[in-house]
Amino acid sequence: MTLWSRVSSWLRATVRRSRVESEMDAELRFHMEAYAEDLVRGGVPREEALRRARLEFGGIENTKEECREALGVHFADTLLHDVRYGVRTMRRAPGFTLTAVLALALGIGANTAIFSVVNAVLLRPLPYDRPDRLMQVWHTPPQKSFPGMPIFTVSPANFLDWRTQNHSFEGMAAYGFGRYTITGSGHPETLRMVAATNGLLAILHAQPLLGRGFLDGEYESGHEHEVLLSYGLWRSYFAGNPDIVGKNIQLNGQTFTVVGVMGAEFDFPVSGDPDARAQMWKPMAWTDHERAVRDNRNYGVIARLKDGVTWKQAQAELDAISNRLAQDYPNDDKGWGAIAVPMRDDLVSDVRPALLILLGAVALVLLIACANVANLMLARALSRRKEVAVRTALGATRRRLLQQALSETLLLAVAGGTLGLAFAHYGVILIVKFLAQRLPRSNEIALDGWVLAFTLGISLLTGFAAGLLPALRMAKADLNEALKQGLGRTAVDSGGSRTRNVLVVSEVALSLMLLIGAGLLIRSLWVLQHVNPGFDPSRVVTMAVSVPPGKFAEPQQQIGYFGRVLERVRSLPGVQSAGLIDSLPLSGDGSHQPISVEGRPPAPMADLPEVDVRLISPGYMGAMHIPLLNGRDVDDSDVAGRPGALLISESMAKSFWPNEDAVGKHLTLYFFPDVPRVVVGVVADVKMTAMNETQPAPTLYFPLAQLSPVRGAAWRSIPMSLAVRTGSAPLSVLPAITGAIRETDGDVPLLNIRTMDDSVSASLSPERFAMLLLGAFAGLALLLAVVGIYSVMSYSVSRRTNEIGIRIALGASRGDVLLLVVRQAMLLALIGSAIGIAGALSLSRLMASQLYRVRPTDPITFVTVAVLLMLVSLAASYLPARRAMRVEPTAALRYE
Amino acid sequence: MAKPIDLLQGTLDMLILKAVSLGPLHGYGILLRIQQISKGRLEIQQGSLYPALYRLEHQGWIASEWGESENKRKAKYYRLTAAGKRRFQAETEKWNRMADLIAGILSATPEEV
Repeated sequence: MTLWSRVSSWLRATVRRSRVESEMDAELRFHMEAYAEDLVRGGVPREEALRRARLEFGGIENTKEECREALGVHFADTLLHDVRYGVRTMRRAPGFTLTAVLALALGIGANTAIFSVVNAVLLRPLPYDRPDRLMQVWHTPPQKSFPGMPIFTVSPANFLDWRTQNHSFEGMAAYGFGRYTITGSGHPETLRMVAATNGLLAILHAQPLLGRGFLDGEYESGHEHEVLLSYGLWRSYFAGNPDIVGKNIQLNGQTFTVVGVMGAEFDFPVSGDPDARAQMWKPMAWTDHERAVRDNRNYGVIARLKDGVTWKQAQAELDAISNRLAQDYPNDDKGWGAIAVPMRDDLVSDVRPALLILLGAVALVLLIACANVANLMLARALSRRKEVAVRTALGATRRRLLQQALSETLLLAVAGGTLGLAFAHYGVILIVKFLAQRLPRSNEIALDGWVLAFTLGISLLTGFAAGLLPALRMAKADLNEALKQGLGRTAVDSGGSRTRNVLVVSEVALSLMLLIGAGLLIRSLWVLQHVNPGFDPSRVVTMAVSVPPGKFAEPQQQIGYFGRVLERVRSLPGVQSAGLIDSLPLSGDGSHQPISVEGRPPAPMADLPEVDVRLISPGYMGAMHIPLLNGRDVDDSDVAGRPGALLISESMAKSFWPNEDAVGKHLTLYFFPDVPRVVVGVVADVKMTAMNETQPAPTLYFPLAQLSPVRGAAWRSIPMSLAVRTGSAPLSVLPAITGAIRETDGDVPLLNIRTMDDSVSASLSPERFAMLLLGAFAGLALLLAVVGIYSVMSYSVSRRTNEIGIRIALGASRGDVLLLVVRQAMLLALIGSAIGIAGALSLSRLMASQLYRVRPTDPITFVTVAVLLMLVSLAASYLPARRAMRVEPTAALRYE
Repeated sequence: MAKPIDLLQGTLDMLILKAVSLGPLHGYGILLRIQQISKGRLEIQQGSLYPALYRLEHQGWIASEWGESENKRKAKYYRLTAAGKRRFQAETEKWNRMADLIAGILSATPEEV
């Protein structure tokens, strides 16, 4: 009741300000006139009565002011006044205002942009019901075979055992990816399909928008011809037709029935790249044979924790089940564990360190911007001492001065925040453009309400942080001193200059830390760009020749098809050589398989050594310019029926036959046991997953023509990628190449057409972008630090004009004066650098995971950056120093 | 300087509440009524009345509306609200207790101490 009356009276008074004022006037006037009338009635002459009424009433303005205060309009009033005053002072100092607002805008903008990324990627819950209960479950591989690999995809039999034996999860589902070509109506298009076992939608607590989910019977092998469409596919390919449910569509030449359409927000698995989102879901139907497979691990697994079960309890149970399975199936499961990871952590674990480093970097930039603005404000506070003193003399209270000084920086910060928001808007667009493929959930990055609240919050915080020190100093100014000293040129304001020195030293230290971070990334990228990938990427164009499963009934037919493709492509003018491989270098795809070497004791599969295995065609090594180090390349004579020919990588030769010639050694591939194979040549190591691979993966290549039946699996088509080396720019020959392939067979889609140079550059794009971002932030920090040094030195010189004049008059040379100023600046820079280096030494190890063959304490980077900073400080102090040098002693002495 | 005003303010608030508890009054009327009740023994700075009125209204103890004065002029009339009535009773009791207490202390003889 009373609270409401207060608020409403305050609102009335504030909003309907003029009415309150006129009523107040009327009320007071009535009072005085009524009193005067009473006096007149008592015999006082009218003039005298009015005079006495006014006199006895007291100070009218004073009364009104107290009335306003009683109504609570006072606070809003002074705030408004302060803001108006602030705007006026700022307009009078446009240079200062522009510098301060820009510094704050850059700092706040950088923070807003990075926060909006962090918010979408790390903070916002996944788009599922109670997403914190969702877990991703992985195998943990034996470290002997997979050193450094923390998790592994899952085999069907192990998944089924986990699912039946656990009591921790409400449900568990396995899923895998596939590509299906849709034909029949309109243009053929390759679509991304996710096949999942029973229970996926139940685990995600998701419902189709239209139609239904899959029925139990639809998970039986041979009956799995149903699909759910993604909302995007439904809108784009099927024009949002609601009658699509129940209709048949042709996928890979087979008939599938659309049973439903998922909602727009549904996305599984969650992906940031719109070009990687699943477009369809189908039931995963394993044959009895496939259900028993334990040694081929290719599926992802998700699960939902039961209510009341903790992550820890679930993990303990998974450990127990894994131990049991390892005992029951030592051949397959020995050394293989299971690990449950919260879905969000699983999704973002790769990018979290980089994002946190960037967040730290922008926080430092903002700190520097704060210090800078505080510095500028301090300089202004000192030059406004007289104004402050006069206002104090006129009765302004300390609190009032403090409030006014603070509202000035707050005004600056809000202006900076607004401009920063505009910067962030463009920053976010850039970030999404460059990082969409590497950043999970990048499609969710936006300047939403949380981000706006964040920006407002840091703007206000920044305003307070930057304004408090100068405001305190301003309010503390000693009235008598200030008035006595006039402009205060000779004033010994040691406290003020000490504060400013501390601020500049911290600016230098912070920007040095950022520069070192950026420097380390630049070094790392430089090293990466000069890493030999093992092949020559120039003038090579690659594409996936995505033969739909089921297109060829027999392997030999597909081998024949690829032979015809190669023949046609090689005959094209401008093509130098061409070859095929199942997984291209730098793609990160490809299989990893156990092998047994002849002459070594037989062992169960779990104990066999494993290597990367690639299928190639003759001519692949030539097209990629992968050097042959020993023996011979595979050629057209290596066909079915001939002894199996193998090429192995240098690292494989070294690890298997360290002191022997590997050529001529016999070995058997565990999954292709029917053909005995012999090493015919050794080739150079190639970067398989990324340019920043530190250990080459031992790799074995065998010709597609000598493919033999896969152990424990039916024949499926093998997607191969074509690599073509051209004589001129590869893209000029590209149309002829794709044309030749389509002429061979029009139903085979070509995917991921790109040059090898692009693949190399794409493999480095996250590093490059992180480097550019951190570099930009560091550059910003440096700029702010330079402004800081410059302003401190300028101020110091103008304050010491008198002293300098005396020195020159007493015989100091211009050089002495230059040195005097520069020495002071360099001292500040040196102290700042020392602190910065100490800080960088303790913080840079946080960056270790982002660096490639560069130590976090890399001396070259540290020294280069420190020298750079000293040079820049020198330059920043040069202008003020020159001004000091030109001081005319007579003018300086007259100055007072 | 500040302290006596505070004391006066607190008292003035009670006097105003008392004055308007007898019926709606404009500011000048309140002044007259207080002087009348106190038989002219209380001198009030006329201007100081209004900040107190505004404060009391702001707190919701009194409400105001414009009306016509006895000599046909527009004037702002104040009346006690329900909350103000409770407040006034509470304040009156508190004041009486306090006054008794202080009077008791001040009239204490040396033997009693």
